[in-house]
Amino acid sequence: MHDDELMDQLLRDAMTAEVPQLSAGFDARVLRRVRPRRLTPAGRVVIAAYILIAAAATLWLMRDLQVTWIVAAVAIGTPVAAVASVYGRRLAAGR
Amino acid sequence: MPQSAPAEAASYADRPDEWLVERCRETGGENAFAELVRRYRGPVFRLAVSILGQEFAPDAEDVAQDVMLRVHHALGSFRGEAKFGTWIYRITFNQALNVKARVRYRAPHVSDQALAALPTPDRDPYDRLQNARRQQAVLACVEELPEVYQSALRLHYWLGASVGEIAVLLDAPENTVKSYLHRARRLLHARLAERGFDAR
Repeated sequence: MHDDELMDQLLRDAMTAEVPQLSAGFDARVLRRVRPRRLTPAGRVVIAAYILIAAAATLWLMRDLQVTWIVAAVAIGTPVAAVASVYGRRLAAGR
Repeated sequence: MPQSAPAEAASYADRPDEWLVERCRETGGENAFAELVRRYRGPVFRLAVSILGQEFAPDAEDVAQDVMLRVHHALGSFRGEAKFGTWIYRITFNQALNVKARVRYRAPHVSDQALAALPTPDRDPYDRLQNARRQQAVLACVEELPEVYQSALRLHYWLGASVGEIAVLLDAPENTVKSYLHRARRLLHARLAERGFDAR
């Protein structure tokens, strides 16, 4: 027998493991992951309440500070919050 | 009149890939993407399995899922310069290689006892052990080949893919695939000889 044919037979003999199959729920899992996630109405209320309370508490805590400190805090805090928000969304989307 | 969701999904089955991609991009249509997943999950999974090999085949489903998610996120940047199939198979190939590079060091050790227990038609225990060792050597030598040869060999010999199917998955002409298979067998023959195994 020719070497190429022998190797052909040897490969057929060696690669006899069971061929794996995709699990039945594959499509559903993928589609669930790509579906946009939306907050429930209760979740929206909680987030809105948190924002209002946090804003009120921040204003009250900063009431005696000089304007320069407030400007500096906003200048640093805003981009940090924006980056964290984008990163969080990407993380949630699995990107 | 607007179609019901199942009727809409059924109407997508005859649409070309490009139309479905456009639909996903314009409306974020879940049914259009579901149709793309239904069309490509099998080939993507097989390609991933062929790259990962027998030992890491359980990771192929994760690769297939990651590929689908990446495709969904990148649909906006798909310019249609290549066919959708070519694009998704390229993503699969690269993703499977990344995963393989990550998991290759957790390869389980297969003992001679385990190899000797493999079912073979030979009755003589010595022949059985020799055969099992030779088959193990073949699989080890396959691992040393260039990735594209490994993939072509596994698709052909393990997953039973035709040359035409391999050509589509690897985005290569059929003659090139035949050449991959031929060169891979020659290289294997040489590697086996280096290890002291005769193909006969």
